Amino acid sequence: MIEDLLEDIAQKNGIRQVNTYLKLATGIGALLLCLVSTSYIPLVFIAVLLTCAILFLARVHAKTYADFFIHPVWFALVSVAGIVLIYGGPTPYWNWDPFPGFSLSITRESINQGFFVFCRIIGGMSAVCFIALTTPMTDLFNVMRQCRVPDIVIDLAMIIYRTIFILINQVTQIYHAQVMRLGYSSWRESVQSFASLCGAAFIASWESGEDLIRAMDARCYDGKFALMGETRPVEGFPFFIVVIFLTLSATVVILSGSKTIL
Amino acid sequence: MSSVILEARDIRYRYPRGLEAIRGISFHIRKNEKIALVGPNGAGKSTLLTMFNGMTRPDSGLLLFDNQPIRYNSGSLRMLRKRVGFVLQNPDRQIIAPTVYQDVAFGPTNLGLTETEVKAAVTMALGHVGLDGFERRTPHQLSGGEKKRAAIAGVLAMDPDVLVFDEPTSGLDPAGSEDIMELLDELNHDGKTVIISTHDVELAYPWANRAILMAEGKIIREDIPELAFGNPEFVRMAHLSLPMLLELHYELQKRGLPLLGKKPRTVLDMMNNIETMFRESCTNPRPGQITLFNIDRDNRKTLLDWLMAHTSISTGAMGTRAKQQAENDSMRLDFTYGVIDKCILKALRGEDSLILTTESMVERIHQRVDSYRKESGTRISVCLFGSPDAENDGKQP
Repeated sequence: MIEDLLEDIAQKNGIRQVNTYLKLATGIGALLLCLVSTSYIPLVFIAVLLTCAILFLARVHAKTYADFFIHPVWFALVSVAGIVLIYGGPTPYWNWDPFPGFSLSITRESINQGFFVFCRIIGGMSAVCFIALTTPMTDLFNVMRQCRVPDIVIDLAMIIYRTIFILINQVTQIYHAQVMRLGYSSWRESVQSFASLCGAAFIASWESGEDLIRAMDARCYDGKFALMGETRPVEGFPFFIVVIFLTLSATVVILSGSKTIL
Repeated sequence: MSSVILEARDIRYRYPRGLEAIRGISFHIRKNEKIALVGPNGAGKSTLLTMFNGMTRPDSGLLLFDNQPIRYNSGSLRMLRKRVGFVLQNPDRQIIAPTVYQDVAFGPTNLGLTETEVKAAVTMALGHVGLDGFERRTPHQLSGGEKKRAAIAGVLAMDPDVLVFDEPTSGLDPAGSEDIMELLDELNHDGKTVIISTHDVELAYPWANRAILMAEGKIIREDIPELAFGNPEFVRMAHLSLPMLLELHYELQKRGLPLLGKKPRTVLDMMNNIETMFRESCTNPRPGQITLFNIDRDNRKTLLDWLMAHTSISTGAMGTRAKQQAENDSMRLDFTYGVIDKCILKALRGEDSLILTTESMVERIHQRVDSYRKESGTRISVCLFGSPDAENDGKQP
């Protein structure tokens, strides 16, 4: 059921060792450029470069990446179709007035706008994917501490992070136990099984919580939670690459102005 | 054996609104002992163990740690928990933090050590359990055995005097179990008192200095393993089974074989008993030799060359670091647990063997072989790698 979690991919990706801030700068920088750009060209440019980085530098499996990307793309296509039909504009290619006061049309402007929005989604998605697939949560905790996020928030986040995996494991086990005994063979049965799954998961998490307190007590918990001591240094070569990527993208944003596809 | 570190005087405990789990137990544990609490499920073993670090408070009776009654205010409990490390049965319940480093650092950080000290403690603990380089891994990526080791490292980093393990080998494969038992031996050798609870008789029998048999909240018998497990009546009362070797020993005796010597705890003891019986017919011209390679001192390169010259020799590794080293050099290991005994068995058949080990274990191997030599009258020799004796085919006295 849950064999390949996003977090596991991030933990094993090819550029895990690169400084976290560099990766965040790449992702967030690309995201901002996508937002300020008024033309589709830089969006495609960023999407292509970041996708290449994810596939060849981080060595994420192409199929995994495609699976991850496909759902938002469907969503984007549906939204874009809506935009193209109702955006309107002075140069129509096709027009239909089903009833008074409501008209659908495909115009030059609406196609331009639709394509631009689609590219912006793809660009933004690739930037978010880049962060999600190359920077595991455990590295982000360090960044959170350095950004002065309150300790209690980080500690809670870390405990939640750890517990989520235990809970997922338990839920998977219960689910398998139910499937093995034909728990989801009919609709009625499915509802009942799912209800008992939720109940069991609640009890399991409650017990885990109590165990957690005992485990922490047994190790002299005094309100302190250690973090990974080290932060990897910013190395010259990756830094250079990130700077080149961001300058190049920014240049493309400026040069392409507000060029449209049609 | 020296002074008493943990003592119980007639302790009783009843679950809230439930049955009585501990019904009047008294015992004492000395420093540097290896104790196995053995009993069936529901005998009260785990409850008793949680009393050792103050997680459970007995309803009546007295528990003493280092000859002081345990006090249950938070300051005293902190001190107690620093000195008594507790490893839970399920490592998932013990590992709290999102990475191995953070989890092992949890205890030391809360003890108020500085960052450098914490780092040193973590490195030491991970090295001890053989998880170097696992710092950045997350717990859910580890295998069962690795999780167990990570949990042990988390406790070791606090440098406790007493280590308490609830079912240390549950959920592990046989080789993984033997590895963990070896690790417990190693820790004991470093001066820690080790207490385990288990219902695996075969595991506890050769390992423990003393066994405490429990059933229904009471102690049935507390003695050295040969005696505690040696009485079929006690074993039956504790819902356990006789260790295989003891059963064999009894069966042979019942058939009128004149088995001398003590009750066997290891295959080696058994072989010794049997061979003493057949001494006349079984005359090995020359016992084999055991060579010790100290990975802290000797040169690996010469070892590899030496192994090329002695291809038929059996090799064993003792201690976590020695095993790791062997793995790094992709050496084929014939034995990874019970190494000394297996090498003596080889030597008795006239075959030579090599043990890779660490500085701290060399002494122990010498002791074990010496004691066997005295007991059996054979002339097995142990020599250090590279010493002249190693080359002249073991004519050491």
